[in-house]
Amino acid sequence: MRIGILMMEHTKTRQQSVMPDVVQILTDWGVDVDLIYPEQELIAVANIQVEHDLYVLKASTNLAMSMAGALHAIGAAVLNPYPIAAILRDKIVTERILRTAGVPTPDTFVADRAELLAPLLAAGPMIIKPYRGSRGRGVRVVWDADELDELASIDGPLFAQRYQKPEGLDRKIYCIGDQIFGVERVWPPLSYQDKVGRPFTITSELRDIALRCRRAFGVDLLGLDVIISHGRPYVVDVNSFPGFKGVPDAALRLADYIFAAAEQRREQPPSPARQTLEEIQQ
Amino acid sequence: MKAAIIGSGRIGCGFAGHLLAAAGYEVVFLARNPVMVSHLNRVGRYRVRLANGRDQTESSVSGVRAVDMADRAACVAVLAEADLIVTAVGPANLASVAPLVADALRTRSTPLNIFTFENLADGGAHLRSEVAACLPEGFPLDRFGFSGTLVSRAVTQRLGDPSGDEPMVFVGDPPDSFVVDGTRLVAPVPVIASMIIADNFAAWMRRKLYIFSAGHATCAYLGYLKGYRYIHSAIRDSEIRSAVVEAMTEAQKGIAAVYGVAFAGGEAHLQEILDRFANAAINDSISRVARDPFRKLASEDRLVGAARLALEAGVYPEQLLRAAAAAYCFSDPADAVAGELQKEIRVTGMRPTVRRVSGVRANGRLGRTLIKRWRQLTRHWHADSVLLSLAQVHWA
Repeated sequence: MRIGILMMEHTKTRQQSVMPDVVQILTDWGVDVDLIYPEQELIAVANIQVEHDLYVLKASTNLAMSMAGALHAIGAAVLNPYPIAAILRDKIVTERILRTAGVPTPDTFVADRAELLAPLLAAGPMIIKPYRGSRGRGVRVVWDADELDELASIDGPLFAQRYQKPEGLDRKIYCIGDQIFGVERVWPPLSYQDKVGRPFTITSELRDIALRCRRAFGVDLLGLDVIISHGRPYVVDVNSFPGFKGVPDAALRLADYIFAAAEQRREQPPSPARQTLEEIQQ
Repeated sequence: MKAAIIGSGRIGCGFAGHLLAAAGYEVVFLARNPVMVSHLNRVGRYRVRLANGRDQTESSVSGVRAVDMADRAACVAVLAEADLIVTAVGPANLASVAPLVADALRTRSTPLNIFTFENLADGGAHLRSEVAACLPEGFPLDRFGFSGTLVSRAVTQRLGDPSGDEPMVFVGDPPDSFVVDGTRLVAPVPVIASMIIADNFAAWMRRKLYIFSAGHATCAYLGYLKGYRYIHSAIRDSEIRSAVVEAMTEAQKGIAAVYGVAFAGGEAHLQEILDRFANAAINDSISRVARDPFRKLASEDRLVGAARLALEAGVYPEQLLRAAAAAYCFSDPADAVAGELQKEIRVTGMRPTVRRVSGVRANGRLGRTLIKRWRQLTRHWHADSVLLSLAQVHWA
């Protein structure tokens, strides 16, 4: 069994990624795991070939996404599937899909220029995010119109959500296949332990929300940021292949899932795209 | 020499056929699936892949053919000519092949041994009594040996498409020995290198069932609750690993009290078993090992039987009972039998179910703990939920 994992380099200060343990477990199980760091290589596009039973798209960099897309186009199995991972990078598309699926989210607006958001502030503060942002980078709360000038540094459309004052701890919900895990965290985290948080038994309401998200996107490795405001849950962010911090035995659970996905792929015939390519090559 | 193997599944092909062909037998399968019959006759061979971690060997079993069990006359003819008959049809199907075997025995004048590769406590005696019921009174059945077997190999997968022309591949782990009941055999005894002839077959059976199979079941049922898909994943979970070791140790003490410490094996024996559970190369799924919980929870079977034996030896079988409690939670939607078990618990209640399925009184020593553990496990249980911690019984 061969698995390629599309990775991105992290700073040395970043602590305790789940992936080294996942790789170790898969390797112990006899899987040939290749770590692929697209940013470190000169890649001849013509040489991109399907050489693994499964590709795991852990990185979300532009180049990793394009590599995953290229592999997807020639019939590779990619986890999460490239088209959905690409959608999940776009908060605007993601938000619309969530709405269609009946997932509760704050009122959401998009604008190409900050000043267009000014009328919204009359009804209360807004949270502004880069529409393709991740890990909380560039996120800010805007209370007054005079703060809108500070948003000029954000590239691309502005993604604005009505600020819902959170009650209690932040909640992360993680999906690994049909298994759903909840982790509570203090915000803002002051220590690594704060970031890890603690698992909680999720309510049927949160389970329903997670299942709706999973069905809406059709992917199995998913993370949701949920806040509770005025007693109601709101999904405020969705991530493809999150870090699963705080999920007990996360590395083992992920390795188990990835192993099964690769095994399933090995038992399936190549996808039509791959067959077509092979026919062309013949 | 000819061997007739009734059943062309994983054990039939991946173990019995493999060993018998290697021992020089001409192998003929009697199979229910016409696609498989056609495949074996067309291709004439299959492959056996034995895998342990990164080490894999693959060998071809050649010169095989098959007869459709719908063609009764042809099957009887094959069985009548065989020097050895083997069944590998699954415990639930053993009775259904008895009439066929009986018809074949009517035509024979020479002795013959029949081995049941069924993972059944007394498969040989069971088949013998079913065959006897199909024969006239006074039939000289003593001319024939009926022995159960203990199969060491786990054959976990059948790969390939029997409608195609590529040989099927059966994937298992390397062990190739099997134990037969020496007291049930008739001469001439087959000569097969890896066959162990045991005079105390019941002891061997109990040792395998109560140590290996109990550990396997503990790993599977706890692994199911914790959401793992494979045995090799579950055994890597530190809580489950501890529980499996402790359950097997309880069972081992029970075996030691009856059959002696040397026969029960020591820590090295347990480690060998743990290493087999950790073998990812055979992709042993939790659902495969956990399926059919009624049988696995039966009074003398791996969990409750081992618990009884441990208790008789003065060892309180805490972990075996927790594993049994977990088995009572098994509700894989893909397993119809598991659905029946859950329905029985819902309809009649846990106490009567435990009494009927495991033969355990709810207010007895075993029953009290089993039901208490089951209540702890199910207190916050949701059918789709995953157990995060065995110690704290914390659900996701």
